[in-house]
Amino acid sequence: MAVEVQQRHQRPPLWRDVTVLKWAAQLVVLAVVAAILWILGTTGAGNIDDRGLTFGWRWLTDPPGISIREGIDLLPDSGSRAMLVGIVNMLRVTVSGIIVATILGTIIGIARLSKNWIVNKTANVYIETIRNTPLLVQIFFWAALLRLFDEPLEADIGVKWLHISSKGLAIPWIRPDIGFWQWLVFVVVGLYFARVMYRRRIRHLEESGEEAYAFTYAAGTVLLFALVGWFAHPLMAFLGPVWGGIASFFGALPTWVVQAVLAVGALGIAGWWIKRFLDGLRTPAGLAKLTDDDIFRIVFASLAGVIFAALFIVQGGISNLVLDGMRNLFEFFDGKFGAAEGGLRTGLPLRWSRPFVEVTGANFFQYGSGGIVITGGFFAIWVGVTLYTASFIAEVVRAGILAVVRGQTEAASALGLRRSQSLRLVILPQAFRIILPPLGNQYLNLAKNTSLGIAVSYPEIVLVGQTLYNQTGQTLPVVLFWMVFYLSVSLILSSIVNYYNRKLQLVER
Amino acid sequence: MADLGQDDIIICEGVKKWFGDFQALTGVTTRIKEQEVVVVIGPSGSGKSTFIRCINRLEAHQEGTIVVDGIELTNDLRNIEKIRAEVGMVFQQFNLFPHLTVLDNVTLAPLWVRKTPKGESDAQAMQLLERVGIPEQAEKYPGQLSGGQQQRVAIARALAMNPKIMLFDEPTSALDPEMIKEVLDVMKELAQSGMTMIVVTHEMGFAREVADRVLFFDYGTIVEEGTPEHFFTSPEHDRTKLFLSQIL
Repeated sequence: MAVEVQQRHQRPPLWRDVTVLKWAAQLVVLAVVAAILWILGTTGAGNIDDRGLTFGWRWLTDPPGISIREGIDLLPDSGSRAMLVGIVNMLRVTVSGIIVATILGTIIGIARLSKNWIVNKTANVYIETIRNTPLLVQIFFWAALLRLFDEPLEADIGVKWLHISSKGLAIPWIRPDIGFWQWLVFVVVGLYFARVMYRRRIRHLEESGEEAYAFTYAAGTVLLFALVGWFAHPLMAFLGPVWGGIASFFGALPTWVVQAVLAVGALGIAGWWIKRFLDGLRTPAGLAKLTDDDIFRIVFASLAGVIFAALFIVQGGISNLVLDGMRNLFEFFDGKFGAAEGGLRTGLPLRWSRPFVEVTGANFFQYGSGGIVITGGFFAIWVGVTLYTASFIAEVVRAGILAVVRGQTEAASALGLRRSQSLRLVILPQAFRIILPPLGNQYLNLAKNTSLGIAVSYPEIVLVGQTLYNQTGQTLPVVLFWMVFYLSVSLILSSIVNYYNRKLQLVER
Repeated sequence: MADLGQDDIIICEGVKKWFGDFQALTGVTTRIKEQEVVVVIGPSGSGKSTFIRCINRLEAHQEGTIVVDGIELTNDLRNIEKIRAEVGMVFQQFNLFPHLTVLDNVTLAPLWVRKTPKGESDAQAMQLLERVGIPEQAEKYPGQLSGGQQQRVAIARALAMNPKIMLFDEPTSALDPEMIKEVLDVMKELAQSGMTMIVVTHEMGFAREVADRVLFFDYGTIVEEGTPEHFFTSPEHDRTKLFLSQIL
């Protein structure tokens, strides 16, 4: 008996010890990944050298010598500016596409569950058609559709309300005018008070049971501030020197301070993550025993913190970039507040802008700078990705509603809740939790699919980048730039979705 | 049993119901008086659940009439909403709202259907939670409670609407044996307080002890009815005898 017990306490041989095996596996994977990256890096660098190419980032600052079809700057003076135009164009499609696809997808998803035969079948046909044809084909289809219209002609010259031609759809638009930024301060403050008002009305509803019109009150508050600000915005002129002061503060700040702050920040985030991780393991009985995985995570987090801190200290350029960015931002604000050319900044915040057709060169008719022109490229890529994503969102919404068990609807009806109340108070809050993660996936797909804009010459970041590397030969840096950009967009989108997902999790035992 | 009188609160005449080509109810006729406790038993698939689900129109009957508290159940949505507010229901699977706390589960209907102020409905909900014996769980979520506790919350939730009638659809069938008693105790207390109740159950002890009348269902209709005493000691119908011999 005693012998047996002793045997059990003996250390197992290393290759049969779970702890050792686990650590070995982690380290082997880490080593393999590092080795692959190293091999790729050195081979790539070798190949670049062999061909006499240079790997560098000069193209970001050099004049690119390209013009861009549409965007915030048609003749950018640097490569980074050109990429920014592409980024803004990409975000225009992504943000508006996500909003419209969500609304459209939800409506179609609910219609798909309708008991009305026509509504149901229409939704069904929409989903099956759009979902089962390649997105690229659909984008070509929408582009071809707009080309069915005539070119603008001499007879079209003049200011229009609405004009459609093979060059796009021109509609009136609201543009920020000279007082816009001063007015915006009023609106932002108004939004804050609207939130206060909204919460107050909700409390009133809960305490008294009376109808509180919380949303109406909140909207009214914003409108009131916007209206007052419309006339009173020159009051905000004093902010100009404040922004200027902050800008010169960043201008005067030595680089090493930023380096120190960033390094300490990186270490701080790692420390905060570890503390939170440990807090999560704390039970009423004290700190739970750490497993090997837990220790590995802590080691990894501290390593990442140290590496980033070292990076910030060694690469002073990063800190310079941050400093310049902040200075430029506040200089930009400085330029939008206070005195303008010709005295006080008293103009209107917004102005109405109408499109017009003009003639350039001998006989070349095109839209001028008024209103907003939905170009063929934008139209095709926007309609393409929006309708395509909406069809997937519709299926996600349908699945989410169906996943809420039937008993929930029955319990709500048995209590006397009306159908709309039961949908709003019981079904949708539960369906939303189920829908959210796959919905986030669809948003990521939409963001990534905007890169198909290259097929219809829509100058988003991929097309602009391609033009740039055709000019400079810097293929690899441009590709890296794309990857970092798409990765950042995806990470930001998914962290927003994850944040809400965590907030909405059902509390279980 | 069902003699004439003003105090018939539920009247069913020849109620029939089909699911596709399967006839779930083949003509149910009965009257239930105020404050009466009726227990419905029968083999599975005999239509007993369908019957009580017709009373608050979770299922729509296709032939015959059902009158609840003087209101006939038709396709008129206003009548259906009125009756559902007067008739509480407890389900086999509890069907609590998992995204709301226990307190919010109980106050949801008073707030949105009866438009009771929040303070008032909270106080009433706490009273009800005390009555079913779990006031300390008010801030928890249904997922954190045991099955017995969840079913008691479901009873409190139904009671929060001050219903005149309570329907129980196999309230203890999804519970662990040790939790059945705590739910039955709450139901007994409710019966003693004078609530009109229709209970579909397999708990024969409960039927014997609490019921004023037992309905035995088979093939979508009432095969035999009577006091628990008559029912458990001298059943007349062969089908009833067979059923009782199998479960007792």
